[in-house]
Amino acid sequence: MKYALFPGCVLEGAAAEAYTSLKKVCEKLNIGIEEIPNWTCCGASHAQGVNDLAALAVNARNISIAEHMGLDIMTVCNTCTLQLRVAKKRLDEDKALREKVNKILKDSGHPYEYKGTSKVTHFLWILDEHPELLKGKVEKPLSGVKVAAYYGCHILRPEEVMKHGESNQNAVYMENLIKALGAEPVPFSASHKCCGFHAQLAAEHDVLTVTGQIVDSADKAEAAAIVTPCPLCQMQLDMYEPEGRDAVGSKAEVPVLHLQQLVGFALGLSKADMGFDRHVSGQKKLKIG
Amino acid sequence: MDMNLKIHRFVEGKKWVQDYKLTVKTGMTVLEALTEVKEKQDPTLSFTCSCRSSICGACAVRVNGNAELSCEVLVETLMKRYKTDTLVIEPLGNFKVIRDLVVDWDPKYATIKKIKPVIEPKKEFSLETGCKQSPEEFNKFKKYAKCILCGSCVSECNKSALNQEDFLSPFVFVKAERLVADSRNRSPQEQLKAIVEAGLWRCFNCQECTAKCPKGLDPAGAIEKLKESTFAHKLDDNVGARHAKAIYDDISDSGTLDESKLNIKSEGLIMAALRAPMAVRLMRTGKMNPMNGHPVNPEIETIRKIVKNAEAASKEAE
Ligand code: SF4
Ligand code: SF4
Ligand code: FES
Repeated sequence: MKYALFPGCVLEGAAAEAYTSLKKVCEKLNIGIEEIPNWTCCGASHAQGVNDLAALAVNARNISIAEHMGLDIMTVCNTCTLQLRVAKKRLDEDKALREKVNKILKDSGHPYEYKGTSKVTHFLWILDEHPELLKGKVEKPLSGVKVAAYYGCHILRPEEVMKHGESNQNAVYMENLIKALGAEPVPFSASHKCCGFHAQLAAEHDVLTVTGQIVDSADKAEAAAIVTPCPLCQMQLDMYEPEGRDAVGSKAEVPVLHLQQLVGFALGLSKADMGFDRHVSGQKKLKIG
Repeated sequence: MDMNLKIHRFVEGKKWVQDYKLTVKTGMTVLEALTEVKEKQDPTLSFTCSCRSSICGACAVRVNGNAELSCEVLVETLMKRYKTDTLVIEPLGNFKVIRDLVVDWDPKYATIKKIKPVIEPKKEFSLETGCKQSPEEFNKFKKYAKCILCGSCVSECNKSALNQEDFLSPFVFVKAERLVADSRNRSPQEQLKAIVEAGLWRCFNCQECTAKCPKGLDPAGAIEKLKESTFAHKLDDNVGARHAKAIYDDISDSGTLDESKLNIKSEGLIMAALRAPMAVRLMRTGKMNPMNGHPVNPEIETIRKIVKNAEAASKEAE
């Protein structure tokens, strides 16, 4: 099993621990990953609001490189996944648009055209579709550890682009994975809510409020950690947790893990392996790893 | 097959959840279930409906946490989706409740007025020659004219849940795009100005509206189209627009986002300086390191050309 990895910008910067932990976990699970050479930002859900066609062309380029590698694409960020899948869906379904974009790529000197031969999937979806990957690998089952599964928006919505499992509105695949790692998923009212990351600057007070509400809701569900498949949600909930607490008058402090970190702990990897020292919140509270 | 309905009741200031039991018939919609309760078990239950054919938009309610057009969605579909024989029915979220499942639309209609929802025809049109429009021009906004004002899109809107004073309901953005994209419109500039002021950039991009619209109108997509138009009309002097532009420009500058500079570009130096305590915290954990130069993509020349050529192609299409 091998994928062309689209890491996305934050894995190269603020969420570098998400990249190191992903590499270690994929190695243990025998998932081959090869970074898409010279990939660019997916547009981070903002570029299309400046120029939609440019954002689309940039992602057509990203996908075409993976196609040239002959591999499907693995992502580890909800927003990257959505941007790439929206681009793919539009290009696959609209021949005229595909031709227009391919002309832009060609005229600009990009060597490959967009063909539509590579799928775009998320690390979490791969683990869900291939339970055999974890067989015999869970060295340290996370018994008794209560975990709040925080999906975030872009892995769930819109369903016509991000369909996974029977129903996105009642998604349970992350909870199933948590169980497979030996931990206990706790019911948690903010599981499908938005962390507000993309409006942090334009609607700061609202975003900090929702950050506080999500962490508080996980705390009330007695979760020892929140886990999320999106590094943007992770950054929002982890980095802004102190401001979130102030915004809602809560005392809740809950560690916020990248999905691959939780998997890593169950595979016997340590906090240091998973780069947990780079987290802002819950340093003293995390009892696993 | 039997089912339980847990209906959120609200009558004259009193709130409670009432249980009803029902036999599910094949093809029974949620609206039919509600009607059966009202006709056979409890005439005091209030809800609204009219066309019973997904056209009037009067019957939307929230079922197990998500907005549904009750005359359209089948009870069995939902029981299967949520793997349960119990459906919890509430009024739409982010609306003031009048009674039981009946919500108050008046404040929402008032917000539509904020965007000046009329089209003043362009000067070249007259009574004699009419307001001509090509099929291509019509197609640009056709989709957004199909809103049935059901309110499903606002029910789980994450931004609306926090504050509706400085934001518009998603369907108002749909309406706005319908007007702005209409080739007959003399002054989309005016509408765009009003929309920016009324909260365009405060959308969280959570996609709940798009996920919920029973007509597939993609309100979140309408918001993106409106944002694009604000750049074309030079209405981009605000923090949201600057942030989007900074991200967009980073693609041509280096290929990837330069996080250490994003806030400064978006908010200006002073606001960014106010975030200094945050920055110190991030530097301490190693999350941010302004000393590390930001790498430049080796194919940056090609990437710049792609962006430039795409910009030229979209201008041409206009
Ligand atoms: S995408 Fe924006 S308008 Fe739509 S539901 Fe989310 S916050 Fe509301
Ligand atoms: S945009 Fe869609 S969900 Fe919103 S009111 Fe119109 S038809 Fe209903
Ligand atoms: S009753 Fe008219 S849309 Fe449902």
